[in-house]
Amino acid sequence: MSAAEPLLRVEDLRVQFNTEDGIVHAVDGITYQVMPGKTLGIVGESGSGKTVGSMTVLGLTRYQGAEVSGKILLEGRDLVTMDDDQLRSIRGNEVAMIFQDPLSSLHPLYKVGRQLTEAILTHRDLSKAQARTRAVELLGLVGIPDPSHRVDQYPHEFSGGMRQRVMIAMALANEPKLLIADEPTTALDVTVQAQILDLMERLQRELGMAIVIITHDLGVVAEMADDIAVMYAGRIVETAPARGVFASPEHPYTWGLLRSIPRLERDRGEALVPIPGTPPSLIAPPSGCRFHPRCAYAQPSHSRIDPGLEPLAGAPDHFAACLLEPQLRRGLWGALAGGATPEEAKESAGYVEEAPEGTPVP
Amino acid sequence: MLSRKAIAGLIGAVLIAAVVAACGSSEEKGSSTTPKGEGLTESGGFKTPATESLTSGKKGGKLVVLQETEFEHLDPGISYYNLDYPVVFATQRPLYSYKPNEEAESTPDLAAGPPEISSDNKTVTVKLKEGIKFSPPVNREVTSEDVKYAFERGKNPNVANPYEEAYFAAVEGMPAAKGGPIKGIETPNKHTIVFHLTEPKGQIVADALVLPLSAPVPKEYAAKYDKNSPSNYASYEVATGPYMIKNNSEGKVLGVGYFPGKSLTLVRNPNWVASSDYRPAYLNEINYKIGGTVTVGEKEALQGTNIIDQERPPQTIVQEAAEHYKEQLQISPGAGDHYIAVNNKVGPFKNADLRRALWAALDREEMDKVRGGKLVTTVQTHFLYPGIGGFEQAGGLKGPAGIPYNENPQGNMALAEKYMKEGGYPTGKYSGETITVVGARGAPASEDAEIVNSTLQKLGFQTKLSLPESSIAYSKYCNVPKEEITVCPSVGWIADFDDPQTVLNVTFNGKFIPPVGNVNWSQANNPKTNEMMDKAESIQGKSARASAWAKIDEELVKEANAIPFDWDKQANVEGTQVLGVGQLWNSGEWDLSFTSLK
Amino acid sequence: MTAYVIRRVLWGILMLVVVCLTTFIIFRVLPTVNPAVLRAGRNPTPQSLKAIEHSLRLDRSLPTQFYDYLREILLHFNFGYSYGSNESVTQLIKERLPATISLTVGAAVLWIVFGIGIGVVSALRRHSYTDRGAMGGALLLVSAPEFWLGLVLLFLFSSSIGKFKILPGAGTYVGLTSDPWKWFTSLLMPWFVLAAGSAAVFARLIRGNLLEVMDEDYIRTARAKGLPEKRVVRQGVRASINPVVTLMGLEFGVLLGGAVLVETVFNIPGVGRLAYESISSSDYEVIEGTVLLAAMFIIVANIVVDIVYAFIDPRVRYA
Repeated sequence: MSAAEPLLRVEDLRVQFNTEDGIVHAVDGITYQVMPGKTLGIVGESGSGKTVGSMTVLGLTRYQGAEVSGKILLEGRDLVTMDDDQLRSIRGNEVAMIFQDPLSSLHPLYKVGRQLTEAILTHRDLSKAQARTRAVELLGLVGIPDPSHRVDQYPHEFSGGMRQRVMIAMALANEPKLLIADEPTTALDVTVQAQILDLMERLQRELGMAIVIITHDLGVVAEMADDIAVMYAGRIVETAPARGVFASPEHPYTWGLLRSIPRLERDRGEALVPIPGTPPSLIAPPSGCRFHPRCAYAQPSHSRIDPGLEPLAGAPDHFAACLLEPQLRRGLWGALAGGATPEEAKESAGYVEEAPEGTPVP
Repeated sequence: MLSRKAIAGLIGAVLIAAVVAACGSSEEKGSSTTPKGEGLTESGGFKTPATESLTSGKKGGKLVVLQETEFEHLDPGISYYNLDYPVVFATQRPLYSYKPNEEAESTPDLAAGPPEISSDNKTVTVKLKEGIKFSPPVNREVTSEDVKYAFERGKNPNVANPYEEAYFAAVEGMPAAKGGPIKGIETPNKHTIVFHLTEPKGQIVADALVLPLSAPVPKEYAAKYDKNSPSNYASYEVATGPYMIKNNSEGKVLGVGYFPGKSLTLVRNPNWVASSDYRPAYLNEINYKIGGTVTVGEKEALQGTNIIDQERPPQTIVQEAAEHYKEQLQISPGAGDHYIAVNNKVGPFKNADLRRALWAALDREEMDKVRGGKLVTTVQTHFLYPGIGGFEQAGGLKGPAGIPYNENPQGNMALAEKYMKEGGYPTGKYSGETITVVGARGAPASEDAEIVNSTLQKLGFQTKLSLPESSIAYSKYCNVPKEEITVCPSVGWIADFDDPQTVLNVTFNGKFIPPVGNVNWSQANNPKTNEMMDKAESIQGKSARASAWAKIDEELVKEANAIPFDWDKQANVEGTQVLGVGQLWNSGEWDLSFTSLK
Repeated sequence: MTAYVIRRVLWGILMLVVVCLTTFIIFRVLPTVNPAVLRAGRNPTPQSLKAIEHSLRLDRSLPTQFYDYLREILLHFNFGYSYGSNESVTQLIKERLPATISLTVGAAVLWIVFGIGIGVVSALRRHSYTDRGAMGGALLLVSAPEFWLGLVLLFLFSSSIGKFKILPGAGTYVGLTSDPWKWFTSLLMPWFVLAAGSAAVFARLIRGNLLEVMDEDYIRTARAKGLPEKRVVRQGVRASINPVVTLMGLEFGVLLGGAVLVETVFNIPGVGRLAYESISSSDYEVIEGTVLLAAMFIIVANIVVDIVYAFIDPRVRYA
């Protein structure tokens, strides 16, 4: 695997939007890669830049007037510098995408079949009849019963889960090498969520494609992802193989995400802990460590020093951007994982508050 | 489901239309007097019907006539509107009619000579010309029976002539007639018709024979149309004049020569004999184009060649024509008047001194300015207007002598306050209940109303001014005495024909105050003037009538029963190649039987 | 669907009766001018007024007048007679209808083509000079009264009084069958004037809708599929027209209202001018006939629009 070339490599990607209120730095220098047939989970709250980042991979942010810099290499070809026509031949073909809200992602006035065949015919030189046969086949593949009948129905005649299956079928139409799934289950019922994830896993196995799954819910990627990147305020703050993130998360924000997952094995009495505060403005992000205003363990100096994403000693594929001492982090997470509150964890890990910096007292 | 906007649009159109309708319909007409006095020749150097030549035309050609308003009634038994008259008088021959440059003296038309009025003033005899024939398809000679039938059908409810009752009520059996024979109308032979009257009113009956009601109608042809309610004789009408509305072999004009809202075509009447008529009838064909907007139509006339417009041009066009198209502009004097009606019966203006005060205070020049200024108005000083018998005797343009409040056309507040004091308001300002002022929407009436309103306020009146659509202002308020409107700021009047009685009687005689349709707007009911008018109705002889009514006019001025401000003149425009001849007696409307092409 | 259409048609007929009654009340009961008074001239005697009222059948009670009127329509399809010419209202309208149909259908075509065209171009070139120019122009046209706009055009372009004498002016309309070219040229300005307001409204609506639609998720999906941008836009336009279609029925009513004014300014002998003239002369039965006709057109247009909408938007179900 180490010898293989990555399918997708994103390097120092930055995406900005000029708005009336100022420049929004939606994605602020992220780097990651996806190996063929593997799954990368990108996790973060809404507003962390994860959706913009992945839409930029397909060039979809161009239509919103985004300024993009950095590199997006698909098998070595840079998508950032590609012209619209070249990019279009990749979209829906080599790279496909499904979106959060299947209800609004299908054109309400066209039959499902037409929306499928148009995806096929855009990239394949088939007859209409062949495309239709393929559409029925795809609907069957994603588990829609009676596909030859359903193909002539309109989106509003499908349930939410069924519509997401249609979206998946559409994405798979040209057997892409990479599927980007942006919150594919968020808008769906819990039971349907599981079905859709199972479907994606099954299809990945069968078709051998790579998946980038974007979610705010670490639980969703727990079983699917090979690697996980945690995004906060337009940056990746921690990235590692999935088991690494779950076994020894390094970033307080990741802790927060983990502690907010509902889990069956969790004790009844143990409350879910939301992350305090709200995601920061991307027009004027906080100085220093961007997470410091919401971090229970931030020291005064953290508002000044901007941490880089650095590999961990002993775990070269695990990176984190945190200013706390690795030792201290391990202690804190140990206590938190045992069910302690942040205050208890600080105490047990021997956390010492630094003196406030440069605050002149009259 | 049904668009509210659409309904609103239609209602909007209704309101616009109501204004248009009202502007037009308050100006019906026919009129006038003796030698052309100062009022008639005063036209600011523009062409005027009073001095035009009737014989310098060239025969032939086609004329286009633009008329933005639809005809109202072309049936000679119903027609009573100055826009209809040019067609009616080009196609119909009443017993008498006016030469275009003459509104004092009528000319025998179907009649062979002047009417013979018996010495007791109770019989009027008219002899008809021989050899006058109806146009096709009737083709036979006109007889006195046809004139008789014209009067009879006027009383038929399906025809319902609007003025027969007013001028011919003295004819025996007329008031009760319903379309059948009228006892007082006799036809001793084919060419004689006699009117027997129950009262000595021969002169006014004789004068009224210029109205189109006296034009003959062939009974055997028209009766079947007169059975319809309302009568549709107009759709089949035949002519006696030099022109006829183009028709088919059955006589139908509707859809042949007349397309309502689109066009009307006049062609020569093949049965008309030039030697029997004083009209030259130069033109071969006259094509009316009906509809559109006045601004565009008048402009087309000014920039066109063989084209005239029959409507009153808006002020902007008159100004433009006066500056750039002087040769194509005709200004006709004697087009009626405008005055302020003040309620003589209830409210503060029962008091004559308060009426005089308003007269003294009013800036009449300002009132006229909003109507187009000196070009088309003259400051009014009494009620008989230029061209009408008695105008000169009543003081001419200057008005009766020795009336202080009549001497300040720009208004005089000090004088006005003096009258207020005499009227019982020692401060010179009125104090009392609020009075109602009902004007009409749309310039210039609304602007006059505003001026009157502010003048009243200067005199201390608290006023409640309303400006409904013109037609509603009249038919619902100013014409309805029980509404007790105190002031109607710009009512107008124009005579039906040349007789001072037609200007003053119904408008100021206390015996004419009907509950609806009242035009004695001031509700003047002064025993002295009432009596003078009742007597004058029966006076015989033009000049005797003129001096009698001039005295009444003076009396009305002294009593200030209403406050006059504007003698109207009427502008009309013509194309460059038209030698237009206007009808002096009909507000200067172009006379189709005299107009020619250069 | 059939049941729905039948219900709409029945409802439409009921509406026509209501319109009939409303018109009747507006003109015969509310303060307008009594046609007998108009006809009677300036100093009517009570007798002559009565005679005229009788001849116009206005001396009967209002309910009787209304009953007679409705009965004649329902039993004999007779809409009464003009007080002026005594011509049957049906005949009058029949004569005038071709001109009005020429005017309104032509204007509707202009309105829809230009409304949609300009709206789409403006939306796609948002904030460009084209967009600003088009939207500024649209605002001007929306606020310009037909009457004024018509006069301006006549003074600019009519061959009789225009600055640039290039088009036939007022009163030049001829029937399509008598001279198609003259018919066409004489209607150019009227079409433009009548269509201008509606086209401007539609352009602004379409622009707004399309801008909104282009931000929709399904447009993003279309792009993600790799569809050429032209086809993406087409899908957007398709979706943005939909809500506007329902407004077409309403706007058609506005168009008919405007036809009254446009026919007057350009002197086109159509039903609109007939209405205008009949209102001026309080010719009740002609007024009622024209208003009924307009109402019928608007109702039919709305039913057609709703049925069309059911076809073009699969989500709409008329149960």
